Amino acid sequence: MIKKLLSAIMAFLLFMAVAFAQNTTVTGKVTDENGAPIVGVTVLVKGEKTGVNTDATGNFSIPRAVGKTLLFSAVGYESTQGVTKGGSLQVSMKTDTKSLSEVVVTGFGGSQIKRELTGNIARVKGKDIEFMPTPSVDAALQGKAAGVFVNSQSGKLGQAVTVRVRGNSSISANSQPLYVLDGVPITSQDQSTYGGDMNPLTDLNQNDIESIEVLKDASAGAIYGSRAANGVVLITTKRGKAGKTNVTLNVQSGYAEATKRLPMLDSEQYAELILEAAKYSDDKDGTPLNDPFSYTTYVKNDVMDYYSYGQWSKDPKKSYDWQDAVFTKGPYKQADLQIRGGTDKTKFFSSFQHLEQTGTIIGNSLQRTTGRLNLDQKANDWLDLGVSMSLSKTFNRRLPDDNAFSNPLQAVALNPMTPFKDPQTGLPAGAPPGDVNIPLYYNPVLSIDYASFTQDVFRTFGNSYLKMKLVKGLTFQTEFGMDYLSQNEEGYFRSETVRNQTSAVRGAGNNTGSFITNYNTNSYFAYNLVKNKHNLSATMGMQYQQSQAKYNSTAGTDFPSNSYQKIASAATKSGGSSSQTDFRFLSYFLRSNYTLMDRYIVAASGRIDASSRFGKESRKGFFPALSAGWIMTNEKFLSKVDVLSFLKLRASYGIVGNAEIGNFPQLGLFSGDAGYAGNAGQRPSQLRNDSLRWETTKQADFGIDFGILNNRITGEIDYYQKKTTGLLLTVNVPASTGFTSIVRNVGKLENSGFEFVLNTQNLVGAFKWSTNFNIAFNKGKVTDIQKQIIEGGVSSMNRVEEGYNVGVFFTPEYAGVDPNNGDALFYKNTKGADGKLDKTKTNKYSEAQRIVVGDPNPDMIFGFTNNFSYKGFDLSVFFNGIRGNQNNIYGMGRYSSASMLYEDNNTADQLGRWRKPGDITNIPQVRLYSTNGSQASSRYIVDGSYIRLRSVTFGYSVDARLLRKYKIEKLRVYVSGQNLLTFTKYPYWDPEVNADSFDSNIAKGNDFYTPPQPRTLLAGINISF
Amino acid sequence: MKPNIQIRGLNYILSAALMIVLLTACEKRLDILPYQSITADQALETEGDVNVTLIGAYDGAQSAATYGGDIMVLNDLIGNNANINFTGTFAGLTDAYQTLMTSNNSFAAGTWIGAYNTINRCNNVLSALDKVTSTPARKSSVEGQALFIRASMYFELVRLYAKAIGDGDASSNPGVPLVLTKTVSVSNADYIPRSSVKAVYDQVVADLTKAETLLPASNTIYATKWAAAAQLSRVHLMLKNYAAAGDAANRVIAGSGKTLNPDFTKLWFTFINNGGANPTEYIFSFTVTAQDGANSLNTYFGRNVGIAGTAGRSDCKIKAAHIALYETGDVRKTFFALSGGNNYTRKHLDRYGNVPIVRLAEMYLTRAEANFRNSTAVGATPLSDINLIRTRAGLPVLTTLTLDAITKERYLELAFEGHNLHEAKRLQKPVGLLSWNSPKLILPIPQREIDVNKSLVQNAGY
Repeated sequence: MIKKLLSAIMAFLLFMAVAFAQNTTVTGKVTDENGAPIVGVTVLVKGEKTGVNTDATGNFSIPRAVGKTLLFSAVGYESTQGVTKGGSLQVSMKTDTKSLSEVVVTGFGGSQIKRELTGNIARVKGKDIEFMPTPSVDAALQGKAAGVFVNSQSGKLGQAVTVRVRGNSSISANSQPLYVLDGVPITSQDQSTYGGDMNPLTDLNQNDIESIEVLKDASAGAIYGSRAANGVVLITTKRGKAGKTNVTLNVQSGYAEATKRLPMLDSEQYAELILEAAKYSDDKDGTPLNDPFSYTTYVKNDVMDYYSYGQWSKDPKKSYDWQDAVFTKGPYKQADLQIRGGTDKTKFFSSFQHLEQTGTIIGNSLQRTTGRLNLDQKANDWLDLGVSMSLSKTFNRRLPDDNAFSNPLQAVALNPMTPFKDPQTGLPAGAPPGDVNIPLYYNPVLSIDYASFTQDVFRTFGNSYLKMKLVKGLTFQTEFGMDYLSQNEEGYFRSETVRNQTSAVRGAGNNTGSFITNYNTNSYFAYNLVKNKHNLSATMGMQYQQSQAKYNSTAGTDFPSNSYQKIASAATKSGGSSSQTDFRFLSYFLRSNYTLMDRYIVAASGRIDASSRFGKESRKGFFPALSAGWIMTNEKFLSKVDVLSFLKLRASYGIVGNAEIGNFPQLGLFSGDAGYAGNAGQRPSQLRNDSLRWETTKQADFGIDFGILNNRITGEIDYYQKKTTGLLLTVNVPASTGFTSIVRNVGKLENSGFEFVLNTQNLVGAFKWSTNFNIAFNKGKVTDIQKQIIEGGVSSMNRVEEGYNVGVFFTPEYAGVDPNNGDALFYKNTKGADGKLDKTKTNKYSEAQRIVVGDPNPDMIFGFTNNFSYKGFDLSVFFNGIRGNQNNIYGMGRYSSASMLYEDNNTADQLGRWRKPGDITNIPQVRLYSTNGSQASSRYIVDGSYIRLRSVTFGYSVDARLLRKYKIEKLRVYVSGQNLLTFTKYPYWDPEVNADSFDSNIAKGNDFYTPPQPRTLLAGINISF
Repeated sequence: MKPNIQIRGLNYILSAALMIVLLTACEKRLDILPYQSITADQALETEGDVNVTLIGAYDGAQSAATYGGDIMVLNDLIGNNANINFTGTFAGLTDAYQTLMTSNNSFAAGTWIGAYNTINRCNNVLSALDKVTSTPARKSSVEGQALFIRASMYFELVRLYAKAIGDGDASSNPGVPLVLTKTVSVSNADYIPRSSVKAVYDQVVADLTKAETLLPASNTIYATKWAAAAQLSRVHLMLKNYAAAGDAANRVIAGSGKTLNPDFTKLWFTFINNGGANPTEYIFSFTVTAQDGANSLNTYFGRNVGIAGTAGRSDCKIKAAHIALYETGDVRKTFFALSGGNNYTRKHLDRYGNVPIVRLAEMYLTRAEANFRNSTAVGATPLSDINLIRTRAGLPVLTTLTLDAITKERYLELAFEGHNLHEAKRLQKPVGLLSWNSPKLILPIPQREIDVNKSLVQNAGY
């Protein structure tokens, strides 16, 4: 908008300039810090009202200006001035990093200068996340926006990311934000049929992004009404600029490695532990250790010797860390080409990207190729039109979900004496013709060497618009957008994997197609009136979205040989399916802003939503919001306080909703999937609820925006309260009814918190140093679920409990080890008549009551970025962290820290077990095949706080003057590192974890042999001409 | 440039027109329905609908959580743990094996949920019998099958989740909730307490007795008169109604036309060796195909022993002590696969093997025990019935009989087929160190059920 306006002004002023040109004209060129020309800079003679704009090459010419002071201003740049006695002037303008003058996108064509905002919108500039090896745009938000919690969950490539804006707003309905790309709500939920959830946002090239706006409060979000309770992420892609065509090429390459290795027992330590455990069990049974049927004999012969191909008895020191077999160094390569330019009438932005990434876990790789063209055309005085189109192909060689024996990280469970290769065959352990029952569990390496599961996603994001100027101040815009996701998944499992994939006796294959067509149309009027001291703007319109998802799949077994891997060759077609599901939304919205005297701002917005997801009688919802702001520094009484350059108070209140409960939750249903022995069958599958309706969240936000010392220090302070009622809850019903649950509007929860944002220009001379800091504190509390029991996660340890945050860990409390006998102890925690918990210890697990012992949701999240530059050098150091959350390591702990209940290898810390009376330790006595403290308990709930050096980038830009003769505008070389350091007490691989096999709204913070985040190191070069 | 008056007028008209288009966008487009499902009110309108719902009931009963095998697996892990070395990683099964279950045991919950889900499917069939109009025989058959499945589920529930017969007073011991009508919606009336053990057994006996009269004598893979009678013989055995148990078993032996397989070792591997067909000895089984069906006995007891089609998690290793129980020369003694230093039963190696629920051998054993206890000879003498089983196993005939000899034969013949917990309770024999009536041998009412339904009482010890 602003750019278009500026172009128009520029044209006008150029005309004026030509008309009045005289000999005292000053000509010159305005460039940015890198020497690139800036188009559309307003150049004024101080004290005069007329001025000119720079042209497409940054040149300007202004009459009667010799010897006079010229003022230069442009959006996005710091204003500057200059004087010349001669006729020419070279001016360099600095990028304006003082955020108050930024323009913020508000949805449905709207934008607002940040200083006038009354709602809470966090903005992340595309520039800040450009050319980072973060896999997707949501992951790139991590630590960049206050109050937006991002957890990347796993080191597997392209997997789903948890994003929570101001806490969990829901229990059973989806709590991920709504993603809107250039006006189109896009498919952001997993569409894969294998392994953990995938992230469809991976298909978007994040280098195409101009800005990301996160609509956090109700005032900002109400225009997305029923879909805004979890926050709305507006993604705006780059558009063309009038001026010289700018070509940028960025090439980077490097490699990634797992951030951590976990210390496990070696062969000797393992033997010590398991033999000690076997001795205990033998002593208990009164069996002599050397008895042929003793546990000890069994462990020696049938565990350690058998699983080491007889090697252990010959060389008990030989040891293998199975992490070496599954972790790998993964190369990373990426090339980006961006071309941007245009004329007054036609502007374009186009980009191409190719990315190749190999995972830090064997067998995982991702390749993405994308192209984009965004085109804007000014057809005539009253009509603008344009299109955006992005095509992408993402290929992913997938890994199984965490809770699969074929998950490579589960190899750590294998005995350390088991060699990677079968000494007889030289093939991976467990590969036929060798003994397929070695190792202890299925060797996951087989699934890498002899199987593959690949996912190809073809994604089209398209959007076209027409914008008409109807009468003065009134425009009409209509947009049609489409997000088409076409996905093919193919798996083939060779017979070598049969221990894991039991259908693969003679090979097993499958092939799945998913086609998600998501249409969206927005049509709206926008009105703007500026009169004297009044500024009024309003937007009103409708949105209709229709999503159709179609799936088909086939599976086959019995292939002629492993050379045939398509279902066409399968002798048995063992499975086949097709299915479809749709949803639709019809919405009307209104938003208006009124500003009086640049001081008092009020805004109102509202939306009426109707959705196919609810019953006819209850499917409409109204979502209004009101907000107000007061720019105090524009009042006389503050205008003299020089230190304070800006101060605004704002407040908002509104209602937003959530409908992400899946399709058709309101209907009583039968499903036709209950066939038996080749005969079709049906079954009752869902209970009806005619009155099911929206979940609503009422949110109040109070904020202060400030600027100090000529806005060198700016910041925001916000306090918010979110109260969600009528939760779309999957409510348990007695299973004796034949059903386990029904979706009802039951219950309430609330979130409240503070957010602080501080941006400072610490040094502004030749050596520049700026800091961006954001920190947020959220307190979530479920206030009413009418005694519903809602559980999830590993061993159902995550739970929804009244008075606590969603998904707290609810399990017996571990009380350490009885020093006399090595028994694991638990606190009884029986509630007494006085409400106090009985802290008596017991070794009987069943006597211990479950209590809340942890919370996977952080209390505090922060991001801290420091940017330095000196001459051509730039350095950016970015930390982020979370605090106050716990993780659950029971997933792996129950096997690897389980006092030898199983034959699994143990984590090295288990050497500290109880051995003799008097030993003081937290690790119980080892007892082969017996349970001693390995039950679910707080023993496995551990601190998940961390501070992570998320990225460091060091770059050098070659002096633009040296490049000029090669027609190069900019040449920058850089090195960059991701996840270089992690400060945490977390005992396993990575505190930033959430096992994909268990992931749900309430099941967070679980670790189940989950791959850690990669540490990536890369070097790159960026050239513009 | 200013737009001229005409354009401006046009624009007003355009604005108005756009406004109208906007506001009349069609709300009807929101009336859409799912594709893979139909609404419940149109699901049971024809005989065909009832037939496919009955298939759905078989599908439910065949799920892994119920007769797909978990019921039998739990039985052996809890009741036969002295003979099995369980090394699996499913915590719910580990706890069952160690008789350290908690109320959150996932398998206890799964079986409860699966059984009631199946019961509701049966109740849906029974609610729409009036739609079955093709022939009276068909109507009887449909009703009989639904009653058979429902009664079987209740029988398994009351045996697993309540005190055994003989442990206190069955008419006051809590059994399980009895739901005999289909669920359309959930209201307060659906939060029902546990009926007494006796009430549940009474219902089971009534349903199976009726099913036996309604069902046809042959019915392909589906339930027959003989399936109902065989199940009834088990029920009466649990109830210690030996005469009725013997009579029911005798009806199966005499009427079903089934014969003992001459070769014990050919009783399994229905998929690998028989292409999915059952041996003649099976009275009722659940069919597994490559596309459909669960066999969790295979899942936990099975292992890839090098024969194509064998698979499993190798979780249940059979202890040498068990194999020592068989006499020398017993073919059943050799029906174990030694692999990786451990023995695995060959009964459950076939990945797609059918899951037998009742086979004829059990009827002989039941008849023998009933006759022995009552000093009768309904159908045959106990000695000849037992010798039939022994001869088939390649053993010399016995000349005298004791109750212990009968129950030992029963144990060895039916080992790892999911009987041992109930056998221990029936015969009041200890399980490991636990007495037959120990609360640890009773599954917990799932915690989720206790939590949601306040009228339920939990079993002792949970």
